Amino acid sequence: MSRENNSASAQSNLPETSSPVERQIRIGSGITKNNKKPYTKSFWKRASKQKALLLMSIPFVIWLLVFKYIPIAGWVMAFQDYKPQFGFFEQEWVGWKHFKDLFNEPMFYTALENTLGMGILGLVFGTVSAIVFALLLNELRFLTLKKWTQTISYLPHFVSWVIVANIVITMLSQEGIFNNILVGLGIIDQPINYMAKPEMFWGIVTLSDVWKETGWNAIIYLAAMAGVDPQLYEAAKVDGASRIRQMWHITLPSIRAVIIVLLILNIGNLINIGFEKQMLLGNNIVMEKALVIDLYALDYGIGMFRYSFGTAIGIFKSVISVILILICNSVAKRIGEGRVF
Amino acid sequence: MKRKLSNWALFLIFLLGFFVLAACSDSETGQGDDQSDKKEEPSAEDPITLSFFSADGTEKEFNDPVAQKITEETGIKLELDYPVGGNDEAIPLMIASGDYPDLIFAKGDIGKLIEAGGVIKLDDLIEEKGENLKAMYGDQINRLRNSIEDPSIYTVGTYGVENAYWETSGTFQIQLDVLRELGYPEIKTLEDFEAALTEYYEKYPEIDGQKTIPLSLLGSDWRWLITVGDPAGFAAGLAGDGQWAVDDETGEATYKFLLPELKEYFKWLNGLNAKGLLDPESFTQTYDTYISKLSSGRVLSVADQNWDFADADKALVADGKEWRTYAPLPVTLGEGYKSQSLKNYGFSGGWGIAISSTSEYQEEAFEFLDWMASEEAQILVNWGIEGENYDIVDGKRVMQEDDRERMNNDKDYSKETGVGYYIYPFPQWGNGAVDSTGQPITPNSEEQIIENFNTAEKEVLEEYEMENWIDCFPSTEELGISKHGQAFNYTIPAGSDLQIIQQKADDLTEQRITQAILGDPADFDKAWDDMIAELEAMNISKANEEMTKMVQDTMELWGTNE
Repeated sequence: MSRENNSASAQSNLPETSSPVERQIRIGSGITKNNKKPYTKSFWKRASKQKALLLMSIPFVIWLLVFKYIPIAGWVMAFQDYKPQFGFFEQEWVGWKHFKDLFNEPMFYTALENTLGMGILGLVFGTVSAIVFALLLNELRFLTLKKWTQTISYLPHFVSWVIVANIVITMLSQEGIFNNILVGLGIIDQPINYMAKPEMFWGIVTLSDVWKETGWNAIIYLAAMAGVDPQLYEAAKVDGASRIRQMWHITLPSIRAVIIVLLILNIGNLINIGFEKQMLLGNNIVMEKALVIDLYALDYGIGMFRYSFGTAIGIFKSVISVILILICNSVAKRIGEGRVF
Repeated sequence: MKRKLSNWALFLIFLLGFFVLAACSDSETGQGDDQSDKKEEPSAEDPITLSFFSADGTEKEFNDPVAQKITEETGIKLELDYPVGGNDEAIPLMIASGDYPDLIFAKGDIGKLIEAGGVIKLDDLIEEKGENLKAMYGDQINRLRNSIEDPSIYTVGTYGVENAYWETSGTFQIQLDVLRELGYPEIKTLEDFEAALTEYYEKYPEIDGQKTIPLSLLGSDWRWLITVGDPAGFAAGLAGDGQWAVDDETGEATYKFLLPELKEYFKWLNGLNAKGLLDPESFTQTYDTYISKLSSGRVLSVADQNWDFADADKALVADGKEWRTYAPLPVTLGEGYKSQSLKNYGFSGGWGIAISSTSEYQEEAFEFLDWMASEEAQILVNWGIEGENYDIVDGKRVMQEDDRERMNNDKDYSKETGVGYYIYPFPQWGNGAVDSTGQPITPNSEEQIIENFNTAEKEVLEEYEMENWIDCFPSTEELGISKHGQAFNYTIPAGSDLQIIQQKADDLTEQRITQAILGDPADFDKAWDDMIAELEAMNISKANEEMTKMVQDTMELWGTNE
């Protein structure tokens, strides 16, 4: 990363950004105010200049179309009573029936609550733990130790949830290590059956998620921190700032844009938290806290041959995601921070 | 800042591109392999490979000695496919993609395949060239039919025809050592059962240095139905109809958790839990933990089916802990109830193997299934290969000593040798059937079963002055033959009210009953009443009606309703 970039990033932390680099980008992409009438000639000229870039992007545009846009056509299924043995035009059209069924189903609201609950907890704790961990690693001056710690900490990311769930269940079982330690230290009298406490389920999911993903999530923040201009730290040191002060006033503000962009992206995915964790860690006792939308869609949609119902759930999820992203993005825009679009 | 982000974006795009390319190249090589495979298939001397999806399958290659013999005889090789981790979505996904294996054993999902047109009717094929199948099913062939509206045959197989009842499938079982220690008491009711557990537990709070567990269940996954739901029905003297209580005369079906008898059973479990007799991990442990607990010999009793913990049983025998294996008991709620363990359900039909509509080899697949029903094939899959697994002594088949030993103690025996592996879910003769020379067609004749008991079992039986465990159960003759088969075997129409309500009710009861069992006994009645109210709110009576209609239709279809 060049020095110019570094200083630009430092400057852009001020609320009103107008760094030279940024202005250059705006001019380059033709969205500056004095370039309002786009005419074809310059468009083609620019295109031919960038043809290598355009060619390189073609496979990905095709990929996006094939895997992300064409499947949207399948959404019509939600308004039919889809039966796979019939062709498209032979399907029975039922309008909003599946959506009505969905919104009249108490189980769906349980699932929604659990999904958002665990999603928000995961987002908050996941982000905070990753940033704190990255900050601590960043302060380590002993390089070998830093590298080792980083490698070890992101290894759990590559372990499948099936295995992690088994480890968690074993550790938290009545005769597991967790209870042994707590009872041994005299903190509790009787071993607690953690997996049988519905009120603890969200916490267990969040904690195991944090354990598994903190190291991995910290990588991106660490990389952003590596790009902070050392001069800033030197200047702060001269001014007598302690290491904690430096973290607070230099490191964190420098990576603010990265944090916000990642937050926006993650909030959009709040409702797409998957179901592996809940399915693998859950059991009959905690089901009312473990049922998430994807699990519901699986059991009551595809699992019961109700493709249309499953599709309706999918559409609902997409709509929520888009709304969440739009809200976050406009908030970020308003406070003048890095944004997705 | 913008610039830095775009660097990140570039990096991500690069990464993504890398993965996409990697994925593409993978699938290309995959396709290449497929094509070369296909080219080889049609040639005459090479066997045809049929893909076979079994909902109860496990990972296995079709290459053991018995499989090789099957290929030799029929020119068919099977490619075994199975659902990963017991997932329910395998069949719906198959239908959604339209990509069917040649042979499908879909269990209860067969209705979806029929509706989707994924499987073919077998009536004509059976008529034309199903000699072996016709001989096997005889007048029971009506029980293979699909429904009143569509009385065609889509599947063959799964359950034995002409079963005799020489062993129970399980349910309440207690360790032999408990019986010995307490001087061989008579245990017929839950009360006796609990008393025996309490007494032994007080005497031996530890077994081999580990804490004794009086009763352990496995209620954390689908096996909840096997170790919690089913035993409740059996204790109340209900036959094995899954979640339903069916009146065999009128065909009246009730969702069984609505019955007061069932409440009584769960109240008993609730009491056990409060007294510390129920394994507190019963509803959270994984299957592996459960089996390893049982294998350690410190679990005094189970409420489980033999097939579900067969591995633990074999491990106990292999470790020389015969006294830690289990004896089946005809336990019920009280004197007025009869254990239905030896009930004869007749040939249940319903589930079976179907041939897909997209298969290139429908005729061959049918011929293969028909061959599997032949006497020759049945002897092969049941006994193995002559001279290797069994010998003929004085004109009779006798299992070789080491094979018999391994069959009882080694859980990998049938997987390795193939002996016994290809019986279920293919068309099969029951253990009561005899071949053309009058010998039993399966090795599980009553003498064999008795001979196969381990030393501890034999000693206990002697003390009770019985030959076989079934002697203390109400006999098959006494219980009569079921006119409607077993309700859990029925194929429930996809998307019907019955299907949706039952799924919701099952989810609810599994959760609420578990909570009630683990709760304070003072709260049990309220918890139960709340659950019943919730069940009624989801219109369970409608499901009862639809199920009743299904039972009655089945009885009409089978001609057992007069």
